[in-house]
Amino acid sequence: MSRAARWVRRYGALIRNAWLVDLQYRASITLWLLWGVTEPAVALGIWWTIAGDGPVAGYARADFARYFFALMLVNQLTIAWDSWYLDSWIREGELNFRLARPLHPAHEAVAENIAYKARTAGMILVVWLLVALAWPAVRLPLQPGRWALTALAVLLAAAMRFFISFTTGLLAFWTTRATAIMDLHAGVSLFLSGRIAPLALLPPAVAGAAAWLWFPYMLAFPVEVLTGAAHGAALGHGFAGQVVWLGVWIAGYRLAWSRGIKRYGAVGG
Amino acid sequence: MRSAELQWKIEPWGKARGTKPVMTFRVPHSAFRILGALWRLNLAEELQYRANFAASVLGTLFWIGTALLTLALFFGHTTRLGGWDYWEVVVLLGVFNALTGVVEAVLRPGIGRLAAEVRSGSLDLVLAKPVDAQGFVSFRRLDIWRLADIPLGLGLAGYALARLGRVPSVAQLAAFALALVAAAVVVYTIWVVLMSLAFWFVSVENLSVLFDAVYEGARYPVSAYPTALRFVFVYLIPIAWTTTIPASALTGRLGPGIALAAAAVAALAFALARLVWRMALKRYTGASG
Repeated sequence: MSRAARWVRRYGALIRNAWLVDLQYRASITLWLLWGVTEPAVALGIWWTIAGDGPVAGYARADFARYFFALMLVNQLTIAWDSWYLDSWIREGELNFRLARPLHPAHEAVAENIAYKARTAGMILVVWLLVALAWPAVRLPLQPGRWALTALAVLLAAAMRFFISFTTGLLAFWTTRATAIMDLHAGVSLFLSGRIAPLALLPPAVAGAAAWLWFPYMLAFPVEVLTGAAHGAALGHGFAGQVVWLGVWIAGYRLAWSRGIKRYGAVGG
Repeated sequence: MRSAELQWKIEPWGKARGTKPVMTFRVPHSAFRILGALWRLNLAEELQYRANFAASVLGTLFWIGTALLTLALFFGHTTRLGGWDYWEVVVLLGVFNALTGVVEAVLRPGIGRLAAEVRSGSLDLVLAKPVDAQGFVSFRRLDIWRLADIPLGLGLAGYALARLGRVPSVAQLAAFALALVAAAVVVYTIWVVLMSLAFWFVSVENLSVLFDAVYEGARYPVSAYPTALRFVFVYLIPIAWTTTIPASALTGRLGPGIALAAAAVAALAFALARLVWRMALKRYTGASG
């Protein structure tokens, strides 16, 4: 069996397993999903009211609606809970049997992400389509080329957020507050990755500073590719930012893993 | 504590059996004694982890900071949010934070664990105790460090009030206090109703997320939302009564009379919580061996 075929088989098994586990917890997953969309829904409600007096920085009501619907979808496709898993794996000693397997634990995490996202993003997509039937504001133009670009941007963003979350989770080798660091990161990303408002609405200095960090590339950029707000040079700039920061976070992950695993004194049975 | 009285009266080993209900006066008293004992134990336990206090306060300050920045962002593009100006919304944010303290210190560590207990069947142990189950489940545990959110939130509200240049009258302060207590009762009811769903949907262990989802809407005055949502927040999921009403009572946006309406809503909510709890408990069959 070739190397590639072996990996396809492995991932097939891992994803199937994760899918079946999720199936068991489907009600819980639906609640998490509901929780995940309330923040953008509330933000949309507020901007909808503010934009009632006229467009805000070029964003009219319908633009906000499209932006936040796209955000709900892209956020669900790129979200990564891995730092919480790793934190508990490391502290409770559940990492032990995962290290004993002939497969790096990160592969299990990737497969879980794929299964979880296929299920939840599929649900959002169905709801979006149903809402779009009744509410023209959230309809997107039929542009397969743009959707292909979106798929690429979402893939890069998902990979980046996975490595951010996984690497931060690895900090549990050194500290008991790894998830608190992730919460801090979430607080900053509220603004810099466009969760509370499109980046165009931030003060220019803040948006300018954000462009030098990874935040816009993990969420706002793929959202704007989907809505069509990003075009021309912004597309090239955005993809470049995604690739560079993905590389940086992969390097960070490798460093944290190799250093951390040496420190790891297994806990638990 | 009505069902405690009932339980007491039908206890096979109770001296009260067959006598006049003199004992009913002692039951609520013992309930407070039990709670007092639980909280004392709880306090002793938490005092071992004093670093958590600093972490908790820092977390709250960080949260308040992001909430203020979010508001600044909104107000960078508008002068009023649903008719409220910046510092009025900050008053509301202070109320929101004080109620968050109640949620995190009392409700989440108490009734928030209900879903897991229904699932595992360990609720049996609670029901076997000769105390009111709802009261015990709701108030058995305090995450004391998070109580700091209450003064922090009220401090923020007070600061914003000063920035508004308003000195509330005694009537306004009284109305605010009453509305705030009513708000806590409404929040409690939302928890009871949501967590009671665990008796119907046993497999759902993260029911408490539903509260977070609902409560997210309480960060801003209800007038800042589209009309349909406003209706939902006032009448169906009554989060308007948790932050908008107390804040309005404090800033004088609504007259002190609103506190009476808030008290009525709270009384209604409490009765509802009691009713839902009883209906839910009837469905409980136990799961442990």
